[in-house]
Amino acid sequence: MADIRPSGYSKHRKPQTYSRRLGTRATPAQVLLSERVGGMLTLLVVIAVLPLLLTNNYQYDVVVNIGINAIVVVGLNLLIGYAGQISLGHAGFFALGAYASAILTTRYGLHGALALPLGALGVGLLAYVIARPILRLSGHYLAMATLGVGLIINIVISREAWLTGGPDGMYVPAIEVWGFELYGGPVWYWIVAAVLVLAVWLSLNLIDSPAGRALRALHGASVAAEVAGVDTTRYKVMVFVLSAVMASVAGSLAAHFSEFVTPDKASFFHSILFVTMVVFGGMASTFGALVGAAVLTLLPQLLADFASYEHMILGLIMMVVMIFMPKGLVPTLSGLARRRRARS
Amino acid sequence: MSLLRVENLSIQFGGVRAIQDLDFTIDPGTVHSIIGPNGAGKTTLFNLITGVYRPTTGAIYLDDQPVTGRRPNELARMGMSRTFQNLQIMMNMTALENVMVGRHLHLNRNLLACLLRLPAITRGDRTARKRCIELMERVGLGGYINAEAGAMPYGALKRLEIARALAAEPTLLLLDEPAAGLNARETKEIDEVIVAVARAGVTVVLVEHDMKLVMGISDHILVLDYGRKLAEGTPEEVRNNPAVIAAYLGNV
Repeated sequence: MADIRPSGYSKHRKPQTYSRRLGTRATPAQVLLSERVGGMLTLLVVIAVLPLLLTNNYQYDVVVNIGINAIVVVGLNLLIGYAGQISLGHAGFFALGAYASAILTTRYGLHGALALPLGALGVGLLAYVIARPILRLSGHYLAMATLGVGLIINIVISREAWLTGGPDGMYVPAIEVWGFELYGGPVWYWIVAAVLVLAVWLSLNLIDSPAGRALRALHGASVAAEVAGVDTTRYKVMVFVLSAVMASVAGSLAAHFSEFVTPDKASFFHSILFVTMVVFGGMASTFGALVGAAVLTLLPQLLADFASYEHMILGLIMMVVMIFMPKGLVPTLSGLARRRRARS
Repeated sequence: MSLLRVENLSIQFGGVRAIQDLDFTIDPGTVHSIIGPNGAGKTTLFNLITGVYRPTTGAIYLDDQPVTGRRPNELARMGMSRTFQNLQIMMNMTALENVMVGRHLHLNRNLLACLLRLPAITRGDRTARKRCIELMERVGLGGYINAEAGAMPYGALKRLEIARALAAEPTLLLLDEPAAGLNARETKEIDEVIVAVARAGVTVVLVEHDMKLVMGISDHILVLDYGRKLAEGTPEEVRNNPAVIAAYLGNV
């Protein structure tokens, strides 16, 4: 069945040359403009240049928090944006990571660098156990179930004061490396930046791989994905666990950075904030997740001058963006740029 | 030995018996068509065979193994693939990526390897991309390689379904109205693809309303009416069957 390409078709178009050019080999300019290479380079340049613009501790504080949120949102975007599953409970996993670091270091004397992976492992196992029953749900039902997960984690952290310090929160020691305490904005800037770059790299790798295509396929046409051999349940569980682990790692970093954890890290509002960052920046866009995290972490700080109007203005900006850019900031803007380039 | 055997198969939706007490076998390497008026249960039968629905009663055997109630992804592992009449295209992906999803089971999909983008992954993807582009050109989609699936016209999406199903290299391929909504020239092209696929040894099960296509390429035809078997046999036998003429072909 070597050559059965319909005769007559090529008289109308030249599919061969067209596809060869676009399909297999890209020009250097295309590579540079691609999300993988171009986006990654941009991120590295921004990370390298940003410290030159930061003048005080407060600014470092905000930027480090952007990075921590971005790590969570990059993971959550894999779940929501690419695989099409919702979670309203990811702040719970974030908080569990933070408290795992807090408890393991203060109460059990573990090193922070050991507490972080242990916490991530525990959260991963918990997420796996939770995911199997609840990911059989979809839509509103999945939203409710994940909301419940977040609430339960929040309540447990608030109530079990003997372990967690209860509503007052608990102190977390700084990580010590070779007698040097990891303390302050400039140090944490580079730690968080390194983890963020790793998260972005893993995310970009995943979505452009057989496993990532399976995730996107179960979002786009679940039955067709099944028929193609994709075990949709397995992939949903997998991406849920992966995003929970990323939230846990970010939580551990946040705990050691701020040296204090409180139960409101697991609050419903915090979960919603993460989801909003995904949607605002742009679903199914890794760099959209970064932009969403950056804008929505930064905006409340910038609007602080407006005092009591702060939340109103924030809400208004979000409404306007979502009405005019329903796909989110980055996909809308990059689509616009692509169309402009195509026209010229 | 039969490739697919269906015994006493029935499914009920509420009070509606969409398929009733159906028995038939499909021999390997043949083109087997299922015809019948609208609502006869053809697509329901496809959904039963491919594991999308679970039968109320009855059994299905693939390669003499009982597969009743198995999920579609397990059946895909056994060499089954299909297309959908009401398109099931991943609109969030490009045309080429849709076809590459069809190769899922042939690719290394280890999560850690994918996350780290190990050389084996990129190498596998590069080969898969090449094969999928060839497949798309075979079904006449050479002009749509990097198109967003959401931006493609209906006729192209029908072929995309076929390319994705072929990418899996199935031994049993079920095509649900592949020519519906296509013009005469496009139908002829699809016809050629199906013949070539069958000639390569793939067993094809075809649901189709285009009688010229069905009569031309089928080895065996099963006629359904109200979920029951009305007739079965070679195209010649079916064409001359009075019950079929009365119920379906009518005044042809």
